[in-house]
Amino acid sequence: MSVVQISGLKKYFDAVHAVDGVDLSIQQGEFLVILGPSGCGKTTLMRMIAGLEKPTAGSIHIDGADVTELPPRKRGVSMVFQSYALYPHMNVYNNIAFPLKAQRREKKFDKATMRGKVENIAKLLEIDELLDRRPRQLSGGQRQRVAIARAMVTQPAVLLLDEPLSNLDAKLRANARDELKDFQRSSNITAVFVTHDQIEAMGLGDRIVVMEKGKIQQIGTPQRIYDDPANEFVATFLGSPSMNILRAQGHRFGFRPEHFLPKTLHDNPANSVSFHYFVKRVEYLGSDRLVYGYVGGHENELTLAKVPSNVRVSLDIEGEYEFAVHHDNIKYFDEASGERVEAQVAGAAWR
Amino acid sequence: MKLLRLGNFPLDNRRLIGALFLTPALLYIVLLVGFPFLLSIAFGFSDVTVGNTDLSFVGFRNFLAVWENDIFRQVFETTIRFTLISQVFILIFANILAVIFTQEFTGKWFARFIFILPWATPVSLAMIGWLWMLDTKYSPIDYLLLQLGFLGRGGLLSDNRNLFWLAAPDLAQISVIFVQVWRMTPLATVILMAGLSSIPTDILDQAEVDGSRFMRTLLQIKLPLILPIMVIALLFSMITMFGDMTVVYVLTRGGPVDYTRVLGLYSFQVGIEGGNLAQGAAISLFAFPLLLAMAIFMLRTASRAEVR
Repeated sequence: MSVVQISGLKKYFDAVHAVDGVDLSIQQGEFLVILGPSGCGKTTLMRMIAGLEKPTAGSIHIDGADVTELPPRKRGVSMVFQSYALYPHMNVYNNIAFPLKAQRREKKFDKATMRGKVENIAKLLEIDELLDRRPRQLSGGQRQRVAIARAMVTQPAVLLLDEPLSNLDAKLRANARDELKDFQRSSNITAVFVTHDQIEAMGLGDRIVVMEKGKIQQIGTPQRIYDDPANEFVATFLGSPSMNILRAQGHRFGFRPEHFLPKTLHDNPANSVSFHYFVKRVEYLGSDRLVYGYVGGHENELTLAKVPSNVRVSLDIEGEYEFAVHHDNIKYFDEASGERVEAQVAGAAWR
Repeated sequence: MKLLRLGNFPLDNRRLIGALFLTPALLYIVLLVGFPFLLSIAFGFSDVTVGNTDLSFVGFRNFLAVWENDIFRQVFETTIRFTLISQVFILIFANILAVIFTQEFTGKWFARFIFILPWATPVSLAMIGWLWMLDTKYSPIDYLLLQLGFLGRGGLLSDNRNLFWLAAPDLAQISVIFVQVWRMTPLATVILMAGLSSIPTDILDQAEVDGSRFMRTLLQIKLPLILPIMVIALLFSMITMFGDMTVVYVLTRGGPVDYTRVLGLYSFQVGIEGGNLAQGAAISLFAFPLLLAMAIFMLRTASRAEVR
């Protein structure tokens, strides 16, 4: 069942088309990640779901009801901001209780019920010891939990998260990612998570929505998006280092550095395409060697290879090697539109 | 020669440029604040008059004489009363106006401009305007009330054709307080507006998503967050008002009788108009410990209330 149904959604700020015709359906209990570079419209899209931004055109349905014109409080959504936006003058208890207080008259519950709800969610997020503290007395990780508790206490239909991990340091972030996913799965809440960090997106998302220039480029599981990109933007945006793109007659083709390996490592040379590879520089990254160079016939296009360190192949600077890519790992793109095309359509004739 | 070398332009010298930037502020403080302040202390402990400018030390004689003076006590009390009452209204109006002026509406720029005028107008000029507005015979306010039937024979407020704004004791006091509120509210409003617009938009967006409506956001989020700035605004207008003499000097000269005589005016009347510089200085110095204590207390409150 879809909890959120978005159709034809647009948001124009004068000449800037922040969101330019988005159709999206979000399923009950799924963890949906909206991924894109900054300025791609992902935050605007989320703010429209929250009701903080009025769409120029299109509609939003939540739980079957048209909420396009409704204010945030009538939508059953809650939000965690990048800054956590904790109320600095209130203690943790009052921060978490604030949304309950705001809806107490409509929903008709007494103070004891409210206290019970706050204490329950605080216990669930392991912040029940901190209820008397002020936000400034909390660590980054604790603040994040308080923000999530405040967003969850009203049992919203959808939880919106705007880059909530980017204020944490790298070590905490991996941990927080893990906890967030656990929490989402156990509470079975529908979560929409906005980020520009592809590792976060790949790790958290049941499905990923890749956005660019206000439009959805592709929707799919992390694996689908990585292995089967819909266009050149998605192909190059995901993956680090990003996909090598080379020009050919009437089209472009690309392959990921980790698929570009010495020919001797391929089981069946018949299934792969070989290139002369001229090595210019090698970076040793521990588990991998990152090789910078170019392939014959494409001297001006930097091409990277990511070769596992445990593969006993020596790669020397200024050396020339036979490298190959498996047929399946080469993606073809239309030269004008950047859309994926089949090998036959691209007319690729490999030796 | 050395000065002409590249990279050693005189203004590149940090010490020199630092001193250069500080000089105007230092000059201002020393010449226009420090020197008069020290001079008034010297005057307060002497027997100087306009006629005899020799400074001979007389100890606390002036201060004792002033303190035992009934008029001074009444003036002191009036000053405190006027200041406190007007601050209440200034805070209420400034808060309401600051909230209005931080909303989006057409003509906002013009409304703000009109509104800031009372503060931008020279006090004496504005007071001459009010002198006419509150005139005993020709007051436009009285005229309006007369036309509406509140004044004149059988009128609701008075059978008389005039209310005598500046001549009746109660009305004169109300008039002075009103004009002070009119004059000081813009500054307090501007300070509060700055405070309101410094609240992070994330916090306000969060409150909206949390389901908070206008009044709850105002009372539970906005006002607590600008409390420290509110205290600063209050401090500014309190100190300005406590030492002010222009308003009453132009409007009432302290009358009728002594009903609107405030400290600044009394000090001026005794020291300059009456020629007793020593006592005039002593009178104004009575305000100093009070204002100092108030300033320290409020600044400490503000820094304690400051969150984050």
